[in-house]
Amino acid sequence: MARTQTLRELHDRLAPFTLAHDRLLAVPAPLLPLFPFGGLPPGQSIGFDGPGSWSVALAMAAAITGHEGWMAVIGIEELGLVAAADLGVGLDRLLLIETVPSAQLGEVVAALVGAVKVIAIAPAREIHHRDARRLAARARERETTLLHLNGGRHWPHALDVMIQAEPERWEGIGQGHGHLQHRRLSVGVTGRRSSARQRQVSVVLPDPDGGLGLPSPEGAAVGGPVRPLLVG
Amino acid sequence: MAGVRMTVVWCPDWPIIAWGVPLDEPAVVTVANRVVACSPAARAEGVALGQRRRDAQSRCPQVAVLERDPDREARLFEPVAAALETLTPRIEVGGSGLVGFPTRGPSRFFGGDQALAQRVLAEVEPVLARRGETRVGIADGVFTARLAAGSIEARSGPVVIDPGQTATFLADITIDALELPALTGVLRRLGINTLGAFAALPVADVTGRFGQGGQLAHRLARGEDDYPPDLRRPALDLAVTWQFEPPAERIESCAFVAKMLADDLHATLAGEGLACIRVAIEAETEQGITQLRLWRHEGALSAAAIAERARWQLDGWLRQARISSAPGSTPHSDSDINSGIDSGVDPGAGAGIGSGITRLTLIPDEVIPATGRQLGLWGGRNEQVDDVTRVVARLQAMLGPDAVSVPEWRGGLGPGERITLIPAAAVDLGEERSATAACSVREPWPGQIPTPAPARVAPDPIPVEVLDDWGELLGVDGRGHTTGLPAVVRPLGPNPVLGRKPRAVVAWAGPWPADQRWWDPLTHRRRARLQVVLDDNSAHLLALEHQQWSIEATYD
Repeated sequence: MARTQTLRELHDRLAPFTLAHDRLLAVPAPLLPLFPFGGLPPGQSIGFDGPGSWSVALAMAAAITGHEGWMAVIGIEELGLVAAADLGVGLDRLLLIETVPSAQLGEVVAALVGAVKVIAIAPAREIHHRDARRLAARARERETTLLHLNGGRHWPHALDVMIQAEPERWEGIGQGHGHLQHRRLSVGVTGRRSSARQRQVSVVLPDPDGGLGLPSPEGAAVGGPVRPLLVG
Repeated sequence: MAGVRMTVVWCPDWPIIAWGVPLDEPAVVTVANRVVACSPAARAEGVALGQRRRDAQSRCPQVAVLERDPDREARLFEPVAAALETLTPRIEVGGSGLVGFPTRGPSRFFGGDQALAQRVLAEVEPVLARRGETRVGIADGVFTARLAAGSIEARSGPVVIDPGQTATFLADITIDALELPALTGVLRRLGINTLGAFAALPVADVTGRFGQGGQLAHRLARGEDDYPPDLRRPALDLAVTWQFEPPAERIESCAFVAKMLADDLHATLAGEGLACIRVAIEAETEQGITQLRLWRHEGALSAAAIAERARWQLDGWLRQARISSAPGSTPHSDSDINSGIDSGVDPGAGAGIGSGITRLTLIPDEVIPATGRQLGLWGGRNEQVDDVTRVVARLQAMLGPDAVSVPEWRGGLGPGERITLIPAAAVDLGEERSATAACSVREPWPGQIPTPAPARVAPDPIPVEVLDDWGELLGVDGRGHTTGLPAVVRPLGPNPVLGRKPRAVVAWAGPWPADQRWWDPLTHRRRARLQVVLDDNSAHLLALEHQQWSIEATYD
């Protein structure tokens, strides 16, 4: 009797049971306050807008793919791959797909979802609303995150999450001396449903390690003496 | 090492027999006025091999002089070779009237070398039908076996040289048996008249004096093979093909046949203990257009995987044909996309093809021994890479082989020059690719812009004007200094990055001069780069080339 009891307890402890909460995707730690549940539900469509938002997108893609996942980029020739690598995207798990006609975009994305964890798109033409709805549903079902690097333009529906970046200050560059080093960036999130309330956080991107970091409390983007900017 | 034990069957007068001349009539076959074969009757009159034709005719005036006809000899010899093929599959036709095969297997099967030799005679003699004699020699190595077949004793019956007796047999044979007049002439003048004496010379000295040719002859004299006989099994033709009769008009019927062919191919390969890692799929239309594409898979391709790839390829091909045949119409109706998304079935299903497919061939292009596959303990990477590989193949079929690419590092100065794209078809996605690690480019590149790298690199530079604080166009002098302080960046025409309004520069750094490939006048580029922060806090990388500023990249 005692043995069956123990077995039952063991069974309960070993049974694979996950809460929605446990299946959240990783996000870079400094962005955590933006997401109410401490993570990003899988399969969402996220838009990125504003100067500096592409770096945020790449940092988030790096966090979502981690050490195993693959990322696909469809028709974004401008994407800086060196920056992507510096922000942690594994180039050995990156597929770059040429620009496809918008009528075919649906098919290409449909082939990719499930196999890759992140798909970055920036459609140049309007997507038909029926295709868009179907695509979003399929991505949610197969838990593939769609990143809209053009802020969701040409996308007929509201995106699940909208990330707005606003650069506050660049550090390390002066009037003809130094070079761009660190950027203080304000990142805001608006969205539907759970993330409907606007949240804002201030981050440093890139930080001294080249990644996404928190600003030091003194107000400077990074610690240490700050050279005064001579703005003429 | 002794040579491979061989049986040699020799029909001594084959060039004569091939001409259909009875052996009791005097006849010679000549090449360039020299006798290369003569019938026994001619021999009895004093005709010998190597004589001039005129000499032969003077000794035996009634001799028939025939020209050598190698085609005819080979063609008529074919029945003899075919008769031997009933004994062993691996026969080698050597020269005229000469055929050999390795003895080990057949000899064991027929109960020893003597029994095998009798068996060979029994097979060959009915074919020759008393038109000529047959001699059989069995020994270690082709050369020795050939000499055994040509020896005096072979006239009365097969000659078998036991293993280990090769040297003894060869020792007393004249050096002329090598049939290398240049070499044997010298050897005779050196007092070496037999193969045994030649074999007794040290290899190093023979090689030093006579070179590689001498070394090969020395190997023969020692009873070894000059070159080991080529005993590889004949290459199997593993390709499977299907002729459509009538031509297939629909993708389903092609896919069905592809599945069947793939199953066939897989069964054949499995029977040979092979697995296919690269398959070529070839299709031909009624108009005779052939399309061939290679598909690689890091693991072995299963039957289903081969069939799937055939279907993708045909699908992509037919789709392209349809798009090009109807340029004005949209390539896909809504229903196509729906079916593609909802059920994953190919969107070409049910669509008619203008030109039917007449032939489908699957060719296993690269095969490896099937060793089974080692899966990761937890699935994991393997499984995911499989998925990705499948998707890449699917996209290549849909969009073209170069549509999907993967990045690799290389050296370079500008933000767009440090990574190159290579087609995904050219790499194995499952393998570790060293060129995707940033440390693969170790050498420093002087003049590189310091980190961070810009997240948005314009594929084509966007032209702008940069004005200094006097409102003049900013320049960079020969020493790499700006001619003034950059103050305003003004877009030229519609600008996707800046919009339409000029923007003030709040901070700047540089310039970084880049004088690239100055040694090559054709590809020489001279540029200067400038980092600027504009009044909306956006940062850009500007480049000046040929007096023209442009936005090269944006720190987005």
